[in-house]
Amino acid sequence: MTMRGSTFISRSSQYLLAIGFIALVTAILFSLREALDTTLVALLYLIPLGLITAYWGLGPGITSALVTFLTFNYFFIEPYYTFAVHRSTDIVILIIFLIVAIVISQLVGRMRSGLAAATAHEREATQLYELSTALAGLQDGLTIAKILAKQVQDVSQGETVELNITGTQSFAFRLPESKQITRPPEWVVPIQVVRGILGEIRLWRAAPALTSSEKRLLQTFANQGALALERARLAQAESRARVLEESDRLKSAILSSVSHELRTPLSTIKAAASSLRGNDVNWDSAARPELIAAIDDEADHLNMLVGNLLDMSRIESGVLKPKREWNILSEIVGSVLARMKHLAEEHRIEVDMPESLPLIPVDYVQMEQVFTNLVSNSVKYAPEKSMIRMRAFVDGDSIHAVVSNQGPQVPQEHLERIFDKFFRITAADQVTGTGLGLSICRGIIEAHGGRLWAENIPDGLAFNFTLPLLWEGVSPPKLPMDTETE
Amino acid sequence: MNNAPHILVIDDELQIQRAIRTILTEKGFKVTTASRGEEGLTLAAMNEPDIIILDLGLPDMDGVEVCTRLREWTLCPIIILSVRDSERDKVAALDKGADDYLTKPFGIEELLARVRVALRHSTNRQGMQSKVIHAGLLMIDLAWHIVKCGDEEIKLTATEYKLLAYLAANHGRVLTHQNILTNVWDPADANHTEYLRVYMRQLRKKLEVNPERPQFILTEPGVGYRFIADE
Repeated sequence: MTMRGSTFISRSSQYLLAIGFIALVTAILFSLREALDTTLVALLYLIPLGLITAYWGLGPGITSALVTFLTFNYFFIEPYYTFAVHRSTDIVILIIFLIVAIVISQLVGRMRSGLAAATAHEREATQLYELSTALAGLQDGLTIAKILAKQVQDVSQGETVELNITGTQSFAFRLPESKQITRPPEWVVPIQVVRGILGEIRLWRAAPALTSSEKRLLQTFANQGALALERARLAQAESRARVLEESDRLKSAILSSVSHELRTPLSTIKAAASSLRGNDVNWDSAARPELIAAIDDEADHLNMLVGNLLDMSRIESGVLKPKREWNILSEIVGSVLARMKHLAEEHRIEVDMPESLPLIPVDYVQMEQVFTNLVSNSVKYAPEKSMIRMRAFVDGDSIHAVVSNQGPQVPQEHLERIFDKFFRITAADQVTGTGLGLSICRGIIEAHGGRLWAENIPDGLAFNFTLPLLWEGVSPPKLPMDTETE
Repeated sequence: MNNAPHILVIDDELQIQRAIRTILTEKGFKVTTASRGEEGLTLAAMNEPDIIILDLGLPDMDGVEVCTRLREWTLCPIIILSVRDSERDKVAALDKGADDYLTKPFGIEELLARVRVALRHSTNRQGMQSKVIHAGLLMIDLAWHIVKCGDEEIKLTATEYKLLAYLAANHGRVLTHQNILTNVWDPADANHTEYLRVYMRQLRKKLEVNPERPQFILTEPGVGYRFIADE
């Protein structure tokens, strides 16, 4: 109510001011009446009329024109102090004065409202410009909605603005957020795109009622918002499509790798088993234990391949969640080396993991996998009898581990790419494996919040990784050990 | 042949059934097979086998559930078969009373070793538990609380001894983290695997020739520990 009241006061005060101004001018002219000619008075009266219309608009202008007509007649046309007119020239002057006064008021008034309309249009254009600038390039529906709501609030000066977005990612957003409002909104604008209605803007503003131009502006805002939301949705759909395409590509790569990699051990097993079965090999032949060992080894190899594929698909689909526990890194390395005993006997292995290392919050089985893959990668590429070195040290808030070998260096441009799925520097048929080992390592380390990279060292290649020591903000526990012996 | 130990195999994969039956029969065991959980439970009740080999992935019932139902009435050793990456199920079954596990695919030596351990422990349950355990040069006397390496006595703290005695008394068997923590520490400490990690390191330092490559106290990744003693 206050707003309507204040405009009412200012509107009527404009009329009062106009009349007061005319009264003042009349008083001045009246004091000079003897020196002034009637026509001159009429001309002088036109000045305040023009000013009044220009400043306060058409209404006060016309009103003052009529008031002036009366005062002019009353004070300046003989006989004075009556509205009677005796001289015919005076009648002509009066009529001309009235016509000129009204025409001037009309002209000045029209000019003035034209100017006001132009200003309003300019303001609308600026607001629209600001909105579309703010929305440009946004990809996130919620941010778009917030900006839209804020701009609607700024422009409309409403009590509350609420934005409801329906559909798959539905949400409601309200400005000011804390405000609770029970009555229905005064104005609702749908946010509409080609596919249908995305949501709506609700505006609570009891007074002053929305003008048609405000409604038009809000509708335009809603349309802009709809376009931005639609654009964000399309961008999301596109990136989803890209992910699908990527996973499709991965799947066909896996299929081709699988058929190649799985067939090799299978062929060995089939050949060895069938020759043992078909009595081609004598019971006491030296080939017999060799064939049996081949079947056993290749079955293990097959098992490892299947395990790698499973791990990779788990990493890819994001279900690889480490089951963290406080662990001792050297214990993990120890069980890896125990299991890889026969694989690693061609190489010298050196472990440097001091007992002072703190406990680390990792998944035991997954970290075993990391060390297994890094060591078997080293075993595969580094020459026999060369040294494979494993060490770890504390580096700030994390533990830094290094597995290095004296194998061939990797060209600088491939140091990152060796962690890509199926990436190989040498041709696929020269080495065995799925080409997944290193990318599984990276997947596991990253799931633990760490980082894995490779670097060339003077005599070979080193894999480095870091693992955070903090687990949900808690540092590694230090246990009270009992020292008394029995 | 009547005294041959009786083994019940519950597994829905016929190839595995066939392989296990062939090998175990060859080794002198009497073997019965079942493809479903319900059938397995019935056969177990009828035949009272000496060992049950149970696959965790059965078509009709959860393997852990079969384990729980068997444990309601029998102490017969249960060896579970599971696939890689199902540590959670393995641990659940072990905590529900299974005695040991094998991960598919497994070698036949592993299977026979588990069967031997299971048979020995079922004999021990009948009150013939040995009081002195040998593992390489190690000698652990559970009655006199003495641990020796060769002729030299090894000094252990109270907790270290309690831990080693528990492992040694169950030698050959896998013991889950929770099992060890509950029995050596306190049921309230069942989640503090870090105690185990640290005390195991201490024990290995005192007992093993090379603590980084243990021979006696083996880690079962994601599951627990196993103490290997001489047969």
